[in-house]
Amino acid sequence: MEKGPANPEVKEKVLAYLDTVEKAKSKEIAAKISVPKADVDLAVKELAMEDKVEYLYITTTFVALKGKVKPPQ
Amino acid sequence: MPDKKTPKLDELEHGPWPSFVTEIKKAAVRNESAKDLLNLLERSYDDKRGHWKHGGIVGVRGYGGGVIGRYTDLPEEYPHVAEFHTMRVNAPSAWFYKTETLRTLCDIWEKHGSGLTNVHGSTGDLIFLGMKTEELQTTYDELSDAGFDLGGSGSCLRSPSCCVGPARCESACYDTLDVCYDLTSSYQDELHRPMWPYKFKFKMSGCANDCVAAIARADCSIIGTWRDSIRIDQDQVKAYAESGLDIQGMVCDKCPTRALKYDHEKKELHVIAEDCSRCMHCINVMPKAVRPGKEKGATILLGGKSTIVQSAFLSWVIVPFMKMEPPYTELKEMVAKIWDWWDENGKTRERLGELIYRMGMTKFLREVGLPPVPQMVFRPRANPYVFWPQDEIVK
Repeated sequence: MEKGPANPEVKEKVLAYLDTVEKAKSKEIAAKISVPKADVDLAVKELAMEDKVEYLYITTTFVALKGKVKPPQ
Repeated sequence: MPDKKTPKLDELEHGPWPSFVTEIKKAAVRNESAKDLLNLLERSYDDKRGHWKHGGIVGVRGYGGGVIGRYTDLPEEYPHVAEFHTMRVNAPSAWFYKTETLRTLCDIWEKHGSGLTNVHGSTGDLIFLGMKTEELQTTYDELSDAGFDLGGSGSCLRSPSCCVGPARCESACYDTLDVCYDLTSSYQDELHRPMWPYKFKFKMSGCANDCVAAIARADCSIIGTWRDSIRIDQDQVKAYAESGLDIQGMVCDKCPTRALKYDHEKKELHVIAEDCSRCMHCINVMPKAVRPGKEKGATILLGGKSTIVQSAFLSWVIVPFMKMEPPYTELKEMVAKIWDWWDENGKTRERLGELIYRMGMTKFLREVGLPPVPQMVFRPRANPYVFWPQDEIVK
């Protein structure tokens, strides 16, 4: 489904929030930055394409800043 | 072959059935990671514990699903499986491949990974087993150039899968292959960018025989059915009777709703259409004599899953009959409302069926705007849901 481009302000807010935590679910990010979750999903999609965030699977999928969470040792 | 002896694994090669140990040993002749895999597995059997760590952050750029990180907790002893990631390749509808395509996939995989595959296991994807992190992006790039894409993993839409449908089955009541392809194409974001409480699966079966076991495995099962009555060819009924088939015993007496009547003298079969539950039994036993009706479509069911937060669930009927014609707008509009509700209310790792179970079918139906109908039963023909909210009861 075509959803259009993400809002640049939302992308900045997502990055700013992720900077304060290790990892987060999109729903949690949306609640914390007071933005509709669909907008956060779109922002995360673009940020992942830009290699600024990455998806992290630990029993469920989280989002984290690229490189912030290290692989298991 | 493995460097060390593997007596426990060798036991799994005995007997007449195929052995995954035999197949891994073949791969181990020319692949170090397959060799380490055998040795590590033998070690796990010795230690009585697994030596794998699951999950992580491996993936290809822009994708949140399709790659599952696997690492051993004994990397110094088994360096070739220190990283042994799994890549899911989205399969074509009903798993039809040309030989040339399979060769292309295998060539890519032998070049970049262990060469071991799990072709269409429980996920429905074609799975590559055992890849180093550094090979992920190049493998994906080559797959993409060959016309393939990754499948789903994590908290996203998993790769839709379907039965062979009208490609090879006369019982198919709708084009399962087209629905599978259409949903896969329509929901690329949902498939590749995990955004939900947990996974969501579509499975399409062309009839109630449910060859992909959708009812037990899919959050949304789309199972072919018909709205009118079965069609009976009385000449073929006579032919079955004359060939010795016990139509009364094997067909009528096994009809779960006793909707079939057999006239022994005339050798004719009749159906009480309003009692027929469209289970496919009579059609399976007498396929030349009994066919599905003409007005075909699908029943939509929700909530099937294996044990996670709650025990295993079979799906519930949500829409008894829906026409399945491109572009499947009615289905997609309903799915969008259901996803929004689940995303809004679901806890982390809570499947749709578990959420409906926790919050109640009444609340679910009201909030997604679906009408309650008699076919929505918890157990078939036993426990219909009753929708009498307190505020509507006149005392």
